[in-house]
Amino acid sequence: MSAALSGVLEFAPPLVLAALGGVLSERAGVVNIGLEGMMRFGAFAAAVGAFFTGSPWLGLACGALAGAAAAAAHALLSLRYRADQVVSGIALNLVALGLVTFLLEATFGSSGVSPPVPALPRDASGRTALAWVAVALPILLHLVFARTPLGLRIRATGENPHAAATAGVRVLRLRAGCVLGSGLLAGLGGAALSVGILGQFDARMPAGQGFMALAAMVFGRWTPLGAAAAAFFFAAADAFQRQLSFSVHAADLRLQGIFLALPYALTLLLLTAGAGRIRAPAADGVPYDPEAR
Amino acid sequence: MTPRDRLFSAARDPVWAAALAVLTALAISFVVVLASGKNAALGLAYLFEGAFGGPGPLGETAVKSGVLILTGLSVAVAFTVGLFNIGGEGQLIWGALAAAVAGRALDLPAPLLVPAALIAAAVAGAAWGLIPGVLKMYRGVHEVISTILLNWIAIHLVHGWLVAGPLAARGSGSSVSMAGTDPIRAAAWLPRPIPGSRLDLGLPVALACAAAVWFLLTRMWLGFEWRAVGAGAGAAQASGIATRLRVCQAMALSGALSGLAGGLLVLGTEHRYPGVFRTGYGFDGIAVALIGGATAPGVVAAGFVFGAVRAGATRLQLVGIHPSFAELIQGIAVLLVAAPRLFAPLLIRLRALSRAPGAPP
Repeated sequence: MSAALSGVLEFAPPLVLAALGGVLSERAGVVNIGLEGMMRFGAFAAAVGAFFTGSPWLGLACGALAGAAAAAAHALLSLRYRADQVVSGIALNLVALGLVTFLLEATFGSSGVSPPVPALPRDASGRTALAWVAVALPILLHLVFARTPLGLRIRATGENPHAAATAGVRVLRLRAGCVLGSGLLAGLGGAALSVGILGQFDARMPAGQGFMALAAMVFGRWTPLGAAAAAFFFAAADAFQRQLSFSVHAADLRLQGIFLALPYALTLLLLTAGAGRIRAPAADGVPYDPEAR
Repeated sequence: MTPRDRLFSAARDPVWAAALAVLTALAISFVVVLASGKNAALGLAYLFEGAFGGPGPLGETAVKSGVLILTGLSVAVAFTVGLFNIGGEGQLIWGALAAAVAGRALDLPAPLLVPAALIAAAVAGAAWGLIPGVLKMYRGVHEVISTILLNWIAIHLVHGWLVAGPLAARGSGSSVSMAGTDPIRAAAWLPRPIPGSRLDLGLPVALACAAAVWFLLTRMWLGFEWRAVGAGAGAAQASGIATRLRVCQAMALSGALSGLAGGLLVLGTEHRYPGVFRTGYGFDGIAVALIGGATAPGVVAAGFVFGAVRAGATRLQLVGIHPSFAELIQGIAVLLVAAPRLFAPLLIRLRALSRAPGAPP
């Protein structure tokens, strides 16, 4: 039982952080399909930072900043130039795929993995500090959304930006801030994969974790606590699937795919069954034009 | 405003915008190469040689272009009814698997087996593409979310379960990474008419599909109704168009085109369903459709451009650049067309210049 729990706490931080990033951006009204790409930039930058500075903490900071830099491109295109937010996110994922592979070869001379980098220290029970961040941050974000004027402004911007603007909210500036914060969190989630879990960068990272975070966000109905709970649940399915992969029975191996597909299938079922009751923020994905009425 | 309008209305001159985006993307990518201290000029030369240098490279370009044209058409058809189909990758995977199973199980002569396997691929893709259409129309589930989820369901079910278990080749062992289906019959292989070139039936099939889609969308009543739904579902419904049915039909066709792309890859290139089959063609179809302005002729043109980039990128390894560099070029190009306002001032000046040569701007 405790082995299962530590497996969940090991694999949950990347998902939780990225899912919270998705919640932050979408509650402010900006769709973020680019989580996968932001995680990829974050995972790579964290490995590079940790490798050259020798400090996994500086690596984490590099990862978060790289995620935010990628998010800045998304914010610039979708807010300033009013590009379609889904398209901008997809393009960001394509760029991340090609550019990070290129940079991996240019930096470390390998298209497979980076050399081992300094990893985050672990406590007596084998947990990194990120495990506690993954537990605390959803509560913090929930309190910000539910109890602070800033949280109210963010939610208003995602539901009805024109009304929020009338009340004195600077919609585009607030949205840009939320997208940058989203990239920061997704980058940190990517860093949790490289300097947290594996201790090196793998060219396949984040291997769909960004999309699973997106599913967790939807499953959690765009709320911080819901998204984090879904992320923990998905991480549990992932940890169980990894246990199966150590099994000697070929029949168990074949079940792996079913467990991997489970989070996505459950999210789709929930959406199908709860149609009408589960909805995205009203202005999610709608470009804000201050002059439109 | 429909998604289609939002995407394309701002670019008054989509052909110029697309050409400019592709050229700018190539330039930016090679500045990246230059900045990393690699030989960018040699890289560019290899890129062109790998795409156009002789029958071998031209065949590669043709094979890749055919697949990209199909996945691009898939996205474009869904755009017509106002849906953004991000699920091409999953539809392609089911199409590829269906072609591999049909190409193995059916005992038919080649002139029957190839079409039968391709039809199986199209039907499988159509079934997977129909799901997001039905969920959107009858349950209100947004297609961007459902197609992303369906992609990953397909990837994990096929790679982690079907190809590793029930459909795995006999004696392939239990290792997931080495798994794959049995090879298809030789009669199911797409014929290669030109020696020394991998050019096969794929490109002609893709071009025929493009012509058919063009005819359907611009010359047939059904295509008109699809476009009416895309322009405004409410108005279409009010004027008597069966909106839900039209959306589901278009999504089935969209899925069928992606499935067919998967079928071509299995019958023409892989000759079985490999253990892990992550081609990225489904996602690249989004780029092809966006750059091609979501019209059939535009998709064909963009498909050729990116097919050449993809074929040429395999030679970039000679200067130490991974072939996934093609994704970088595509990604930047999409970022540039996604923001037409970025180009608008430049395009206005270009148009003024082309209309009044010699006149002061």
